[in-house]
Order: sequence, then C-alpha cells, then structure tokens
Amino acid sequence: MAEPNSTFKPIKPKLKPKPKTPNQTPESKYWSSFKNHQIPDLISSITSLTFSPSPPHPFAATHSTSLKIFNPQTLSPSSTISSFSDVVSSASFRCDGLLIAASDLSGLIQVFDVKTRTPLRKLRSHTRPVRFLKYPLHDKLHLVSGGDDAVVKYWDVASETPLLELLGHKDYVRCGDFSPVSHEMCVTGSYDHTVKLWDVRVTGSKTVMEVNHGKPVESVVFLPSGGLVATAGGNSVKIWDFIGGGKMVYSMEGHTKTVTSVCVGRVGKENVEEGREHRVLSVGLDGYMKVFDYGRMKVTHSMRFPAPLMSIGFSPDCGVRVIGSSNGVMYVGKRKTKEENVDTGLRSFWSLGVEEERRVMRPSYFRYFHRGQGDKPKEGDYLVMRPKKVKLAEHDKLLKKFRHKEALVSVLGNKNPENVVAVMEELVARRKLLKCVENLDNEELGLLLMFLQKYSTVPRFSGLLMGLTKKVLEMRVEDIRGSEALKGQIRNLKRSVEEEIRIQHSLQELQGIISPLLRIAGRG
Amino acid sequence: MIRGGSSYISSPPAFSNDAKRLLVCTANTVSIFSTSTALQVASLEGHTAAVTSVIVVPGTKVLCYCWTASLDGTIRYWDFSVPELLKTLDVKMPIFSMVIPSIVGQPAESNEKLTDVFAYLSIEDKKVQENRPKAMHGQIRKCNLTASRMVGGLILKETPQPEFITVSSSGKFFGIRNKRKLHVWSVPAIDSGRSLAKKITLHHSKTLSVLAFHPTERIVAAGDVTGRILVWRGFGYRTFSTGDELVNKEEEHPGVRGNDDADSCSTWHWHSAEVKVLSFSSDGAYLYSGGKEGVLVVWQLDTGKKKFLPRIGSPLLCFTDSPDPTLSSISCADNLIHMLEMPSMDILKTISGIKLPHSFPGRYEGLSSGFAFDYTSGLVALRTESYGIQFYSLFDDHGMYEVQVCERNHQPGDEISVVVILVALSQDGSMMSTVEVKLPEEGIGGLVCLKFWALGSENKKFTLSTVIYEPHRDAGISAVAFHPTRHMAVSSSYGGDFKVWVCNDEIHQKGQTLQNSGWACLAVGAYKKKPMTAAAFSLDGSVLAVAAETVITLWDPDKNVLLAVIGETFSPIVTLSFAGKSEYLVSVSRDPKPQLSVWNMSKLSLSWSYRLHIEAVACAVDLLSFAVLALLPESSMCTESNESMSQGRDGAILLFNVMDPVPVASWSVRKAKGGGLSFLQGNPSFLEENISDGNAPKELLVYVNGDHEYVLFDPYSNEANEVSMARRKGLVELEETGQVGYASIYGELPEFKRNQTSLVPSVPSERPWETIFSGSSHNLPPLTKLCAAFLESLMEKRTAAVE
Repeated sequence: MAEPNSTFKPIKPKLKPKPKTPNQTPESKYWSSFKNHQIPDLISSITSLTFSPSPPHPFAATHSTSLKIFNPQTLSPSSTISSFSDVVSSASFRCDGLLIAASDLSGLIQVFDVKTRTPLRKLRSHTRPVRFLKYPLHDKLHLVSGGDDAVVKYWDVASETPLLELLGHKDYVRCGDFSPVSHEMCVTGSYDHTVKLWDVRVTGSKTVMEVNHGKPVESVVFLPSGGLVATAGGNSVKIWDFIGGGKMVYSMEGHTKTVTSVCVGRVGKENVEEGREHRVLSVGLDGYMKVFDYGRMKVTHSMRFPAPLMSIGFSPDCGVRVIGSSNGVMYVGKRKTKEENVDTGLRSFWSLGVEEERRVMRPSYFRYFHRGQGDKPKEGDYLVMRPKKVKLAEHDKLLKKFRHKEALVSVLGNKNPENVVAVMEELVARRKLLKCVENLDNEELGLLLMFLQKYSTVPRFSGLLMGLTKKVLEMRVEDIRGSEALKGQIRNLKRSVEEEIRIQHSLQELQGIISPLLRIAGRG
Repeated sequence: MIRGGSSYISSPPAFSNDAKRLLVCTANTVSIFSTSTALQVASLEGHTAAVTSVIVVPGTKVLCYCWTASLDGTIRYWDFSVPELLKTLDVKMPIFSMVIPSIVGQPAESNEKLTDVFAYLSIEDKKVQENRPKAMHGQIRKCNLTASRMVGGLILKETPQPEFITVSSSGKFFGIRNKRKLHVWSVPAIDSGRSLAKKITLHHSKTLSVLAFHPTERIVAAGDVTGRILVWRGFGYRTFSTGDELVNKEEEHPGVRGNDDADSCSTWHWHSAEVKVLSFSSDGAYLYSGGKEGVLVVWQLDTGKKKFLPRIGSPLLCFTDSPDPTLSSISCADNLIHMLEMPSMDILKTISGIKLPHSFPGRYEGLSSGFAFDYTSGLVALRTESYGIQFYSLFDDHGMYEVQVCERNHQPGDEISVVVILVALSQDGSMMSTVEVKLPEEGIGGLVCLKFWALGSENKKFTLSTVIYEPHRDAGISAVAFHPTRHMAVSSSYGGDFKVWVCNDEIHQKGQTLQNSGWACLAVGAYKKKPMTAAAFSLDGSVLAVAAETVITLWDPDKNVLLAVIGETFSPIVTLSFAGKSEYLVSVSRDPKPQLSVWNMSKLSLSWSYRLHIEAVACAVDLLSFAVLALLPESSMCTESNESMSQGRDGAILLFNVMDPVPVASWSVRKAKGGGLSFLQGNPSFLEENISDGNAPKELLVYVNGDHEYVLFDPYSNEANEVSMARRKGLVELEETGQVGYASIYGELPEFKRNQTSLVPSVPSERPWETIFSGSSHNLPPLTKLCAAFLESLMEKRTAAVE
C-alpha cells in the first residue's frame, strides 16, 4: 500500500562512494585497539625485546650496552642493567621470571637477578659475539646460545659450563627458539640460510632436521602447537611443518625489505576456536608490522611505523605489543587487559555484600517508582515504537515553505558544500535556482561567489557549479561591476579557475605520455 | 481470462450506510471495498459499459441497496450485501450522471408511502446532428424510477456536453455548472411526474468547475478554473419562495452579479489552479476544497480560516463524506482513494489502483519500457508520477506496494523536472533497476541516476542497493537489462557506450561480505562510437546483444569481447529481445521506417521482417514463439472504421512462431498506443481453479493498454477456453468482527489446539462403508459426522448421469 506522503522529506546530499572492502574487520579493530605509546630516547637500535613469562609480564629491551626492564602498566623503566662491556644483543627471562640472561657482542653471557640486578653467573665460552640466547620453557637450569662463531652451545647455568657444543652451521648463528612443548628441542637459524632443529639428548652435533630458508635467516620462532616453525629472512616469512618432515607450508611475501623479527601474537577473544587465535607478527626494515593468520594463510592486518623496525615482542596476556626501531624509539601498543578487569572483579566480589543491600528498592524511595524505565526490552516483548521524527535543518524548513532564496542563503552560510549543492539541485528540480540568483542582494551574492570560488573546481560539484558560475556572471554582471568587493571575489574566482585549467593541462600532458605506453603494453 | 486495472476515480465513490464499505465505480462494474482493510470484498457485475454513478439508498445500517447508472443507458438497482441485481431500467441513452434527490433527503420509511422516486439524469443525446454549429449534446432529464420510465418530453436543460449533477444533502436542490453559469433547481416538495422544478441561474466571470450545496442552509459554493471559490448565500429566496414572503427589493446584494437571485456572494482565493473538489461538511460548518496542488483545504465557513492536509501527492478529484462522521474519502488523480479519519485528517487506509499513465516531457515521451513484468509472481512495475515504482499484482488486481525511487516530495502542479524513465526487473524478480533523470534548468543541474534495488528476504520489498550518478557521463540511458541467471546487468547509453554491471556478491562468493553488497562496473564497450539504443541478454546469458543504432552487436558478457555484428535496419532499433531459447533475435525499430525484424543468430542474417509499427514485444521463455503489439497504420484504420467490429480498435496483438512469418494467432485491441505486453508464468494458485479446463495454461500473455487496463489470457488455447477461465475470486471477506473487550486490549489469546483426530478415514474409496468405521473407537470421529459420510457413501453418485 502507498504510504501517506504527508511528511516532508528533507533534502539529502549525494552519496559518496564507499570503499569496496570494509576498512574495519573485527581483527583489524582488535589490532588497532592497541593504543600507541612511544618510548623515545633509547640509544641506538633495539636489538631484542622479551617478555617475562610470569605476570604482570614486564618486558626487557636491549639496546646499546644496557638492558632495560619495563613495567607493562606504566611503560616506565623499572630497572636498568648496564654492566656490559659491549652492545647487548639478546636477553631471555627464565621461566619463573626471576632471572634474566643477557648476551653481548664480546661473547659474554651474564645471568642477573631481575630484582636486585646483581650478576649471578657469567658464562664465558663463545669466542665471537653472541647473537642469541634462550631459556627453555620449563627448565630452570639450562640455556642455549649461539653467535658469530657458528657454534650453538647448551649451557648448564649453575656450573657455568657448556654441556653441548652443537656444530653444523656454516655461518653466523643469528637466532633460535625453544620448543613450546619440549625443553629439549630447539631450533636455530643462521646466515647460511638454514634452520636446524636440535635435540640436546642427541650427542655428536647431529641435527634432527634441517630446512633451507633460501635467505640469511634473521629470526625463527616456534608456533604454539610445537609442530610449526616460522622463519624470517630476506623479504619473506615462511611457515614450516617440522612434524610433517620439514616441508614449507606457506611463504608470506608481504614485506618489501628484510624481515628482522617475528613473534607469536594472539587475538584475545574467547569465542575464537582453538588454534585460530594465534598470529605471526613480523616486522621489517620497511617499517611495517604485519599480522599473519597462518590458519587462513592471510595477512589480516598491517601497520606502518616511521622507522626501520628491528624487533618485536608480544605479551603473553595480550595486553602489550612492543616494537623496537633502529633509531632507539620503542613503539608500544597497550590494551586494557583482562588483568585489570579481574582485579576490579575481585574487588566487587568482596564488596558484593554491601552492594546487594543497596540494590533492594523500597516504595519509600523515589527511584522505586521509576524502576524498569531504563530496562532493555526482552526478546518476546512487543515494542510500541514512537514514530521517528524527521529532523529538518534550517534550509529544509525554508524549502518546505517555498522560501527558496532564503533557503539558499541559509545553507550558504552553513559552510557545508554538500548541503549547498543538494539545495541547489533541489532548486533546479523546482525550476527556481536562477530566479533565486536573480533575487540575491549584493551581500548574499558575495556569499555565493565565495562558495563558487571555493568549490566550483571540485570534481564532485563542478558539473553543476561550473554552469551555475557562468549563469551567475551573465545575470549579475551589472551588480558585480558596481561593487568593489564583488570584483575582488571575481578576481579570486578567476584565479582558481586558471589554476584548475593549468592542472588540467598538465594532466592531459601526462595522459599523452602514458597512453602510447599503455597501448604498447596492451599489445604485448 | 482476467481483466483488471480499471480506474477507481472515474466517478465519485459512495459509502454504505454503516460506513464499512465503499462502493467504487470501476469500469463496467462496481467494486465494493472494506473501509477498514481497503481490500475488495465484492463487486456488482452487470453493466455493459462504464458505470458513472452509484447512489446508496440511505436508511438504517442494515439497508444495502443502491442505484447505479451507466453509459450503456441502463439504471440498475442492487442489493449489494448479497450482491444481487434487483431491477433494471433502460433509458437507451448513455447516462453521465444521476441524482435522486427525493431519497437523499427523506428517511427510508417514506418509501412505504409508495411515492414515486424520481431521478434526474445527465444524458448524452446522440441523435443531435453533428453539423449544427452549437450542438447541445448534454441534456438534463427526469426519470420515474418507481414506474421505470422517463418523464416524457421533459428536458430541464441542454448543455454542450453532459454535465455532472450535484445534489444538496437535504435533497432540496440540485445543480450543474455550465461554462460561467450555475444552474440550480429546486426539487418540488411532493414530486410528481408533471411538477416542474424551478430553476435559477447564478453568473460568474470565469469558467466554473465544481459546485457544492450547504446541507441545511441556502448556500452554494462554486470553484472556478483560476482557483477562486465563490460562496453564494441565500440563493433563490425570490424564485423558490413558495409562501407570500415579502422580498425587499432595495436590499443590497454584495458581490452578486446582475439580477442573480442571491443575498450575497463572497470569494475566497487560495488555490493557484483549478478547484476540483468542493464539499461541505455534514454539519455545514466547514467547506473542503482541493485541486491540482494535492492539498485538501478546510475552510471554516463563518470566518474563512483555513486548515490544510498537505502533500497528498496527486491532484484531488473527489471528496466523499460518509454516514460515519469520523470517516471520509478523497480520490486522487493517481488512482488512489484515501480514507481519512475526519477531524484529524489522518490517512487511515489507501485503496490503490493501478497507476494511470502520465505524460513525460520531451524526448522521454516515446520510451517503450514503461512497464516491467515480474515473470514468476505476476507483478507489473509501473512508473508513477511521484517518482516511484508501483508494484501491481495482475492476478489479484490490487496494488501491492510502492517504492519511492527519488527521495523528493512530489508537487503535482509543478513543471515536471524529475522523471523515472526506465525500470527493469530481473527474471526471478529479485533485482530491480531504475533510471531517473533530473532535467536541467537552462542547461545546468541535469543528472542521470542509475539505481539498483534488491528484494528484501523477509518483507518482500525492494530496498536500495546501489546508486550510480551519471553512469554514462551526461548521456541518457536507453535500456537496462538483467542477466537471466547471474547478478549481472547491462545499461546502454545514447552516449555511445554500454556498461556491464555486476553485483559484489558474485565477486566474493562468500557470506562475509554480505553487508556490503553493491553493484560495480565490470566492463565498458562501444561500437564505432554509435549511440547504443537497446540491449538484451540471451536466455542462457552467454550472449549480450546491444543495438548500435541500426546494427546489432553481439558480445560475450564475461570477457567483453565483440563476437559478431549483424544488421542493418533502416532506422534505429529501439527494442531487442531473444526469442526464448532459440537462436533468433527480435528487433524493433520505429520512425521513420518502422520495422519488425527477426534475425537468425547462427547464420548472422535477417530471417524475416515486417513493416509494422510495434509498440511492445514479449518473448515466451521456453517456446519458440513471441508476441508483438502492433499499432495499426492510419490508412487501414479508415477503411475498417465502417465495420462495427473494429470500433476504436487501433492495435493488434500478433503471436508468431520465430520460424514462420505467418502469425499463429492475432487479437485486435483498443488503446494500444503506450501499451505493454508480456508473458507470465501461470500462477499455480490461479491454475487450481481452472483445473476443470483440463489442460492448465503454462504461460499467460498479459496485455496492458494505454490506460493501464489489462487483460490476461492463455494465448495458445482456443477462444472458448479463454472465456471459461473465470476471474480468480481473491476477494477477502469483509471484516465485520472488530476486536472488542479483552481482545482489543491484549490481542487474541493463543488457540490451544487439542489433539485433533486427524486420522479421519475420509479417503473416498469405492466401498467406503468398509473403512468408515474401521479403527479403534476412540479414534473415530463423532457419530454425527460419520453418519453423513456413511449415508452419502451408500447413495449412488449421479452427477455423470445428469449430463
């Protein structure tokens, strides 16, 4: 049935084209929910970032000759260890978060107490700079390290002796990681393009498995399942299936420069099924951080930073994401974590008894009579909808009363070009635009000319406004001649038109250059 | 055969005495609508020409009698509750208007005194010679309805054209307008055959258009073509006075012209154009007026203060008061009847008929695709003047809904500046495309806008999916066609290119991007920069045919590759259509050299052609036939005009088989100009009623004429079969039982169904008494039910024997 047309329809500006893909997927919303903070003024590039496995998950950043431990809540340095003789290359927390080991380019590995910052052990065996070290996941006694001497060493920390020297790499060892499911398996990546999987129970420097990345390997990380490994080298991040015999699952080629670091991130959602929530985060010298969903083999988010990025870390509680750049700036993304919610939840649990009493309402209380007004309707409730009120702007009200000129003047004063053009289009449809222009007094004409000067060359409006400008000048030439202010407006208008003509000329030149090229390309 | 699409607004409707029904003249019938649901409940069929007047006999609420007058020269008396024809009077002259003053003013009981009921008729006298310089065709005559005869030799007035008679609600006066004069007759108190009604004449300087009488006082209001409303007070005291009242001759008569018999005349002016509607409220305190602006104005009679019901959206034609003071109706020129709740003037319900044709400015006049037919559901989409698309159900003959294409208020009086020029529906009816054009004002501000609409899944209404401004730069669009199976469409423009559009859904093929489904351009094609004038997809969608003026270009729609060029015709092609699944393509070109051509696609050559002016083409989906609506050339019209058969018939529907240039069947039709033609899938519910015909028609042909009246028939059956197909009785029962008490407040209680014994052995077998009592006793239906079935089963079926 026909609706009664008795409501006035306000004019609407033309729609703007929407982008084809929605710019906000739930995932990109999640990654943009990390609020950006910058921690500047660290000297030199940040070589490594590591999170403590124990809550509240402080994180350590190594840069220059010092190691700084940051509080994840305040993002301020809680302690600084600077008893290094050379540039610190890598650091790793022990699984209980009480000790931290750090290596420097002199080849020395030191183990510190996180609280007191006292060096407890010094492991000295590497003859060349040490590039990485790593504590196993559930083993408090050992750690593994590798360096420019191409040797991977498995240490007994307490006795400061290397238990195993794993030989096999033919170039600098740059990175490594322990398996998340076994404290006896580790992978190392080297500049000889290979990634080797070691088992510390196997003696005689024999690798369990070896894969070739094809480029010098900068970073390697076990994925949480323990069967997949992500390696970064060159412009690509590759996912390998080690259980399935070391075959490559996917190669992500999103970066345009060398990928320097990868880590495992998590989309902190409860409703996401298991195995779907982990992501590989990678950073590169091109300044991009990319989030790669290895379940769907798809880059789900990408973020640009203004400097080459060297390292990345992601807190185990999904609250903090840290990226270190080569110029000493750390980009920290922080989210409101569950931790805080749990904290407040705990408090409310304790105060529950008090609040319960307050919630009971009695008729002696004023709010009792208003109870339920703010209630949300339930599923089965029948809603009596209030008729939607049509909001009319000033120009709509004037158009409704057929006061066309006043509507045009009112909308010109509002500085919204879309609305102005919409009103003009409506006036064209009513065959009243030129009459309005005729009736404008000098001041209002000035307003119109100012608008035309500003917007008549905008491509979206030019179809209407160019023709209108011509008509206005034709019709009101006498008035413009008579007024100095209007003449000034006309000069401005002329200038902007000339500017536009220049632009169009240069664009046409460009087109002239390109079109033969395109034709040749099309033939090829 | 189904007919429908008649105009509801040709003459004023009438309310029944209980104001629950509205009697509307619809062509040859009177349709009765329920005022609470706005659905048709019954119809009075019998007249053989258009019904012009319907008068309900007033009385108590149960009384359901009415008089109707028609152009076929008969007056009929009906009981419309049954509905049943009670009486027929033959006047033998077409009646344009009829009033029965005596029954209006008096209560029904007075009929018992057996006084004769007289009607005053406005008839057209055809015997008047054409060659007389001032032929008076219209006559006002008197007719004795009780005695069923005309009052002989009594002609109250002759007018150049038959005029509409207006009667006062008291029944004392009736009158007509005649150019610049108003003739008012006073009805004698005791009407008899010989008693002559006295007449006065009121003059005005402009042509009058409408008049209305005050219900109690001697006030007559008239509207003129310039929009003025004149109110004469105290008319006719001199002429109509029966007693010996003294008339003061020196009395001032302000505003009264010449020697007219009235006390005073005042003028109100609000309307800017002709006043079409004038009516006094039943208590006489207010005057309703309306006109071309589509605004109902309520004047307070004493003070002249105004109240408005604005933006009705169409010129008003008629205002009807009902016996219920809270209900009245207005008829609008776009075939709508709005029910108004009275003091507040809210529109309660709308009876929507098929939209009437409206004029298009300039070059959009001759566009053929005025209609789009939904093949499966039997809907037709028509463009409305108020920038909308109306969906009209052809099977049920009522308006389904309207889609507002352009978010703009329609002002009926204004110059047409925005117009919907094209509408196209996909074959399954799930997608719609519209093209609207905003005409420029002195060369600035023109805009062509292509819109795609998607059918909502739950409410079955179209919602806007994509808007494309200026799809072919500033060039106009000549045609839009949908791909038969996929979400793809093509638009061709006079600017020399066509564009293939695809819906985003198809690109992604995934559910995750559903909320952002839109149409985007896939490909652009052009052929020698010629204007593209028509486009069509083949039935399997593998070939796209686009007419580039006189040649036809064939394209692969997926790869956008030109496959072949066939042609050419003498004048530009305006319509292209693939004939079913065959390899034939039908093209139509019009002025200056009209041509109907059938092209063989496999040979890429002309198969056969006719020199015919074709208005519309329809192709059957499965079969190799197509139908065309051809306008008969002027010359043949002249020769045939002597024959009584082809009276007023200016077109013919020809059914062809693509192989054969000899038409399979042909029908001659009226008002073919601006008509449309399409094949429709036989509606299953419609078919069920016609199963007795034996073979149910698979496809029906629908013909919509220039006045948007339509007829549906089976083109393959013989004539006799057609007639037997009765119109579907989709009439809804009148909703007499309003919800009262508990139900009106809380709604209906849910019905708790007890376990019904659905296992009634009602299967008619040859020996039903064997099965009828079988089963356990608690399972059996009650004995009263069983008894009838049992007895019936024992009786011999004699239906066959009767025949």
